[in-house]
Amino acid sequence: MPYMVDATRAIGRTTLRTVAAVGRFGYLAVDAGRALRKGSLWAPHLVGQMAKIGVASVPIALFVALFTGVVLALQAAYTFTGAVPQYFVGTLVGKTMLLELGPVLTGLALSGRVGAAIAAEIGAMRVTEQIDALETLAYDPVAYLVVPRVIAGATMFPVVVILADALGISAGLGTAVLRLDMSAFEFLKGLRLFFESWDVWFSLIKSASFGLTVTSVGCFFGFHASGGAEGVGRATTRAVVVSTMIILALDAFWAATLLK
Amino acid sequence: MNRGRELLVGLVIIISALTAVVGTLWLKGTNFGRPQTEVDVLLRGVGQLNRGNAVKYLGVGIGRVENITVDGVAVRVSLLLDQDMVLPPDPAVVLGPESLFGDWQAEIVSRIEFPRFPFYEVPPGEGPNVLGGYALPELSRLSASADLISENLADLTDRLGLAFNDSTATALASAIANLDTISLEIRALVAQQSAVAVSVTASADTALAEIEQASVVARRTFERIETILTDAQIDTIVANVRVASTGIQEIVTSLAESTGGIAATIKRADSTFARLDRISARIESGEGAIGRLLVDSTLAIRAEDVLAQIDKLLQDLRENPRKYVRLSIF
Repeated sequence: MPYMVDATRAIGRTTLRTVAAVGRFGYLAVDAGRALRKGSLWAPHLVGQMAKIGVASVPIALFVALFTGVVLALQAAYTFTGAVPQYFVGTLVGKTMLLELGPVLTGLALSGRVGAAIAAEIGAMRVTEQIDALETLAYDPVAYLVVPRVIAGATMFPVVVILADALGISAGLGTAVLRLDMSAFEFLKGLRLFFESWDVWFSLIKSASFGLTVTSVGCFFGFHASGGAEGVGRATTRAVVVSTMIILALDAFWAATLLK
Repeated sequence: MNRGRELLVGLVIIISALTAVVGTLWLKGTNFGRPQTEVDVLLRGVGQLNRGNAVKYLGVGIGRVENITVDGVAVRVSLLLDQDMVLPPDPAVVLGPESLFGDWQAEIVSRIEFPRFPFYEVPPGEGPNVLGGYALPELSRLSASADLISENLADLTDRLGLAFNDSTATALASAIANLDTISLEIRALVAQQSAVAVSVTASADTALAEIEQASVVARRTFERIETILTDAQIDTIVANVRVASTGIQEIVTSLAESTGGIAATIKRADSTFARLDRISARIESGEGAIGRLLVDSTLAIRAEDVLAQIDKLLQDLRENPRKYVRLSIF
C-alpha cells in the first residue's frame, strides 16, 4: 500500500513538474516574443549566434549526411536486388534524405551539440548570477540571451540541413556509381522520378522547427538551471533529452499534417 | 573578426540557398532559358498521371507534365516541351504507365498509329496547340475486366457441364460411329473415283496423242500453205481466176443481149396473133371471102379444118418456137 501511495505521488509530482515546466516554457516564449521588439539588444548578437549555431555545425551535419547517403544507397540496392529497377535507389535516397533523414539526423546531431552548448552556457550564467546581474542592470536577459539564439537556430538549421541533404544525395549518387555499377543517369532518373518541390519545402519547415525547438529548449533549461555546476550538467542533459524527444514528436507531427 | 564572421555566415547562407533553388529547379527539369513549347491536352481522364511526369515522343523524353486541371467534363493537361517541337501529322497524346511501378508518362503519337484508341475530340474553338488524348486503362480496371471474363468463363463451363449429360455422350458416341461409317464409304468412293480418274487419264493421253498427230498434220498443211504463199503460185492462180471471171462476164453480157432478141421476137409474135384475132373476128362476122366461107357451111367446114390446122400450128409454134425460129448466139 505504501508503495502504491509513493507511486501515485511520483506520478502526480512528475505531472505537476511537467505542467509547471510547460507553463514556465510558455512564459519564456511569451517573453521572447515581446523581446523581439528590442532589436537593439539581440540584433548585435545574431550574427555571432548564427556562426556558432549554424556555420560551426556544418561539418558535423555534413559528416552525418555523408555516411547516411552512402548507407542509404547500399541498403536500397540490397533491398531492391532482382525485383525493383536499380534506378529506384535514386528515388529512395532522394526522398529519404529530403523528407526524413536529412532534417532529423541533423536535428538530433545539433541537439547534442547546439542544445547542450546553449543550456550549459546560459545555465552557467544563471548559477553564477550573471543573468541576475543583467536584470539588475535593466538588461532584458531574454532579449539578450534567448532571442538571438532562437532566431539563429530557426534560420540556420534549414541552411545546414539543405547542405546536408545535398551532400547526402551526392554521396548516394557516388556510392551508386562507384559501388553499385549504376550509371549516374539511372540514379538521376530515379531521383527525378518522384521529386516534388514540396519535398524541399517540407525539409526546410521541419528543420526550422527543429532549430526553434533545440535552441528554445536549451535556453529554457539553461535559464532555469539551479544547483551549481551539477545543476548546469543536469540542465544540459535534460535539454538534449527533451529536445531529442520533441524533435521526434515534431517529425511525426509534420509527417501527419503536411504529407497528405 | 566580426566582419569575417558575418562574411562566413552570409557565404554559408548563400551557398545553401543556391543549392536549394538550383537543385530544386534542376530536379524539376527546368531548362534554364532554353526554348520551350507548351502544349495542352484534353482527355476524359488521366489515370495515374501526375505533375512532373515525363513527356515522350518516339520514346525520347522531351518534356514534363506541367499542370493538370479539370476543364468542364474533360481534363486539361499542360505539357512543357523542351524544344520547338514539330508535331507528327494528326497528333494526339497517349497516357500510360512508364514502367510497372506506378509512374506514368504522356507520349505524343500520331492518331494513324492507333486507329482504335478513342482519342478525345478537341472542340473547334481550341487553338492548334491543343491535342486530344487518351489514357490507357489502369491495371485495376484491367483486373476487373479479367475478373468479369473469368466469371463468364465459369458460367459457360457450368452450362457446358449441364448440357453434356449421359444422353449427350451417347448421341456423341453414335455420331462418332456414324462418322466412322461415313469415312469408310467416302474412302471407297474415293477409290472408285481414283480408278475412273486413271481411266480418264488414259483416254486423255490417247486424245492428247491424236491431237498431237493432228497438230503435226495441221503444221504440215500450214507449212504447205506457207510454201505456196512464199512461192508466189497464188498470184498465178489469182491471175487465172481473174481472166476466167472476165470471160464469164462477157458470156453473161452476150446472154443478156440474146435474151433481149427473144423478147423482141415474142413481141412481134404477139402483134401477129393480135392481127390474126382481128382477122378471125371479121371472118366470123362474115366479112371477106373467108367470112363468106363461114357462112357457107361447106366452105365453113373446110375452113374449120384449115383453122384447126392453123391453131395446131400456132400452138406448136408457142410450144416449140425453136422449130420455127432459129437462134444463133455464136
